[in-house]
Amino acid sequence: MKKNKWLTAYAAVIFAFLMIPLLIITVTAFGGGSAITFPIDSFSVKWFANVFSLKSFRRSFLTSLEVAFLATIIALLVGVPAAYALARSHMKGRQLLKSIFLSPTIVPGIVIGFILYQFLILTFRIPVLPSLLAGHFMVTLPYVIRVVGSAMEQFDFSIEEAAWSLGCPKGKAFFQVVLPNVTSGISSAFMLAFINSFNNIPVSMFLTGPGVSTFPATLMNYIEYNYDPTVSAVSVLLMAATVIIMVIVDKTLGIASLAK
Amino acid sequence: MKKSSTWIMLAPGLIILLVCLAMPLLKVLVPTFTIGDYPFSAYVQFFQDEYYLKIFFRTVRIAVITTAVCMLGGIPTAYFISRCSKKWRGLLLAASIFPMMTNSVIRSFAWINILGSNGIVNKLLMALNVVEKPMKLLYTDFAIIIGSVYLFLPLMIVTVTGVMENIDDDMMEAAQSLGANRLLAFMKVIFPMSLPGIIVGGILVFTGTLTAYTTPQLLGGNSNMVLATLIYQRAMSVGDWNGASVVALIMIIVTLVVIKGFNALAAKLDKRGEKG
Amino acid sequence: MAFMTLNQIDVSYDKKKQILKGLNLDVEKGELVSLLGPSGCGKTTTLRVVAGFIEPKGGTFTLDGEDMTRCPVHKRNFGLVFQSYALFPHLSVYDNVAFGLRTRKVEKDVIDRKVKEILEVCGLTELASRFPKEMSGGQRQRVALARALVIEPKLLLLDEPLSNLDAKLRVSMRVEIKRLQKKLGITTLFVTHDQEECFSISDKVAIMNQGVIEQYDSPENIYKRPATEFVARFIGFENFLELKPAGNNCYQASDGSTFRVSMSWGNEPFSGTIRPDDIRLAEDGQKENVITGTVGVRTFLGKSYQYEVSTAAGTLKVNMDTEYAFQEGDSIRLYLPEDKLILVRK
Repeated sequence: MKKNKWLTAYAAVIFAFLMIPLLIITVTAFGGGSAITFPIDSFSVKWFANVFSLKSFRRSFLTSLEVAFLATIIALLVGVPAAYALARSHMKGRQLLKSIFLSPTIVPGIVIGFILYQFLILTFRIPVLPSLLAGHFMVTLPYVIRVVGSAMEQFDFSIEEAAWSLGCPKGKAFFQVVLPNVTSGISSAFMLAFINSFNNIPVSMFLTGPGVSTFPATLMNYIEYNYDPTVSAVSVLLMAATVIIMVIVDKTLGIASLAK
Repeated sequence: MKKSSTWIMLAPGLIILLVCLAMPLLKVLVPTFTIGDYPFSAYVQFFQDEYYLKIFFRTVRIAVITTAVCMLGGIPTAYFISRCSKKWRGLLLAASIFPMMTNSVIRSFAWINILGSNGIVNKLLMALNVVEKPMKLLYTDFAIIIGSVYLFLPLMIVTVTGVMENIDDDMMEAAQSLGANRLLAFMKVIFPMSLPGIIVGGILVFTGTLTAYTTPQLLGGNSNMVLATLIYQRAMSVGDWNGASVVALIMIIVTLVVIKGFNALAAKLDKRGEKG
Repeated sequence: MAFMTLNQIDVSYDKKKQILKGLNLDVEKGELVSLLGPSGCGKTTTLRVVAGFIEPKGGTFTLDGEDMTRCPVHKRNFGLVFQSYALFPHLSVYDNVAFGLRTRKVEKDVIDRKVKEILEVCGLTELASRFPKEMSGGQRQRVALARALVIEPKLLLLDEPLSNLDAKLRVSMRVEIKRLQKKLGITTLFVTHDQEECFSISDKVAIMNQGVIEQYDSPENIYKRPATEFVARFIGFENFLELKPAGNNCYQASDGSTFRVSMSWGNEPFSGTIRPDDIRLAEDGQKENVITGTVGVRTFLGKSYQYEVSTAAGTLKVNMDTEYAFQEGDSIRLYLPEDKLILVRK
């Protein structure tokens, strides 16, 4: 199709707007001065070394990985059967049940953190880490329900019935026939849930305690008191990781699976 | 499927949601109805307090402007992407998804570097002798808006592209063959056909901006609070837990109203028949 | 000069693949001309060049003496009916049909009158407030037609408009299209791959193959006298005979059987061709245009049997009535009538 030059120019401006700030950060990460400058006066990689020397960064990074991973796994364990049940059954309250499973999306993240802090930590004296996990479960569950749910809805259940008719017990049929056919949905739900849990801040704001803080929260804290290129260096590392993840996803699931 | 096995599969999720969402919500929010001299007095007071009102309207205003700008920027871009060749479409979609996957702290941090008094914009303006002293760009509503647009524009692009990709080239061609130039064909055919996606994008951007914490905290500072930062400040700095709870419920209600409002609008605009 | 002329049109998508190669086509005013050919032959591309969606690399397209080659789509004023119908799903039937008039800023009451007129003509008056989703394929087809006709187009372009309809509806719709086209006198280009549909509806047929028009003639002439082996094959001549000139309009197979044909031929390479239906059993004593063969596979076609008969001129498919069934291995004498055996370019 013939391209309109105005539209092309417009899109070019939009993408420049999206890309330039990230490029600027990347450049500043290599600055030699003690404060952030653009353009940089001298070249150095010392800020990258600084990232790895900061104990709070290392510890919170591991916490975030752990929380995001566990929250995603739990959401899958709970959400996949639920998505299957919702797609398979014809009961009356199906739509309502689905919206209940998606309800964490209408509660703002900061509110989720706030109520869990009061309810779990203050009232029931539950430690910070499980509470944080509960909060991140609310972030991950809707992704599983939405993405796996739509994969289930596209699945032709007469295939499952064929397995039953061939003498396969129902439980076995679920694992051997249904699950293998929605693996791409499960994989993209995993990626989306994991990335969004890892990146989430508002839920974690209240759910911190001695020695327990998520990586983005630590970063945010650092920015409020320091103005050096350490954060730029962290950004470059995280963006590099993002690029690697995106390339892997593109090769396996297709890039569009992250657009859900 | 048997009803009992359906419920067994739904149960774990429902129990967690009950214990970790419904009960905490009720426990925290219900008491706010009765605090003060008369029922709901805390809410009445909130909307009588000038300071709170200012924050409330700032939050809504920022969300409205951000949503509008994201639509203005995102819809034509999404159309552009949806009409590209397969190779370019994948590339541009990846370029839109990449910022979405990047942490919002980093994305806000980028704008601190650009808008700060020592930032790129001010340096450039001073070098060009446009201004003498650095302008105050950071820690303003403007900074929050630009940061929020930066945060949510990719989401709008990706959502709308998803719908526009599925509109057949035939539609544009049919409109052109009937005498419409490209702009008119876009306005009369492509735009109305994409409305469902635009509405979904609008809901995501609006509620996202309305409840965002990171960007207003980093780019707005303490003098330009929004509802999300107000909750944190009330609870953690002031120790006013009831005040924070009141704000929490208001945020939930506004979110619900916005979702319902957008959906009602969508239902009204989307007249294509449902029968058959 | 003809009303519509395509002159030496070249289209190629990339450097290697040329879709149209110096295509020429003349269409007279009020004619319905079909472009017929297998998929990938360039018929839809030709239509899209005329519609203005594809700009040809070379050549010109003139309409009514005016060069339209570079005219933008929306200024051409041609009615288009798409294979998918491309009805606007968010607009009612009435609004779909009114779309073209509204873009032309026609006065409201004029729009209303014209839309109602064309809906009436197309039998859609009752459905005016329906949406595309709520209608059957045939109804959508008529809306697409009404939408294209209401703008009083200089040309009507139909791109396989009937291919999404079931067989019965296809027949009644093509009669309706023909009726409307004649009534309104609109010059029409009709793209199809269905030869029966094409022959029944067209004033003239252009048979396309690999980016060129192989033959352009009336349906009757094409049916009776295909010009090339490709055209013959495409319209159901299944038998191609290896023959050598024997002088005096006579041709010989390798076993010496001689065939007289009722057409003269120059020096170009050729083959003889005949439809399976037109071959008969030879009568005793008949000598000319007769060849002997051995019966092979027999297939029951309902009203007839089809035999594969191997002869010195190649294997021939022969349809014969079912009163008597030959067995495999039988030797039979076939008569290929002078006026049915045709010579075509190789």
